[in-house]
Amino acid sequence: MADTSTSESPPAPVKASDGSEPDARFTFANERTFLAWSRTSLALVVAGLAVIQLLPPFPGVPWGRHLIGTPLILLGAAVSVLGYREWSGNQRALRRGEPMRQSNLPRLLAGTVTGIALVAAALALLSSLRGH
Amino acid sequence: MPPADDIEDIDPGLAGERTHLAWTRTAIAYAALGAAILKNSPVAGVPILALSVVVWELGRLPRAPGTRHARAWRLLLVTAIVTGIALVALITSFLSSGSGGLLIKHQ
Repeated sequence: MADTSTSESPPAPVKASDGSEPDARFTFANERTFLAWSRTSLALVVAGLAVIQLLPPFPGVPWGRHLIGTPLILLGAAVSVLGYREWSGNQRALRRGEPMRQSNLPRLLAGTVTGIALVAAALALLSSLRGH
Repeated sequence: MPPADDIEDIDPGLAGERTHLAWTRTAIAYAALGAAILKNSPVAGVPILALSVVVWELGRLPRAPGTRHARAWRLLLVTAIVTGIALVALITSFLSSGSGGLLIKHQ
């Protein structure tokens, strides 16, 4: 659905390979999606930071906080970068009138958070066995 | 009535308004984080508060007509900010493993 019918509109300054200016609503929606991922990523980083620096140490497992917090911070950084790449890919698809690729960010987020939750549960158990 | 090529011609500022609000939410997230950290570590809190102003201003910058797509550098800057905070968080967490944190001081 490349925009060829509305030839009256002034040509947008785009590269030849870059398609045409998409409906502004789509551009806005894509940007909001990026910002939502960006906030998610900031929340993950802050959560990891808080686990490492605010939580009292697990009794008997001194490295426990780092084991939970570090993956959270790394996931946050990854979500931020992947969110940008996804925005960029979606914008390109919109410009070219191509279908957008399915996002793998939800799977990455759900999978990693599940993994971290399991590790946290195991740590809590190990800590209660070792401590006191 | 001539057919409008651009939805913004018929209905100015609804999608744009929502997007602006999303930028505001994002800036508030940084402001809240900065304020929380400021309490214990002004050295780390002030830069994050400054970043919230940067994000706020990025959301307020007008889009040039016909180039609504040309926001890549702003989004790239936001990505760099989050990644930078993640990097600082990682470094301080490993440097200060024994005695609380450098960013958030425990106790």
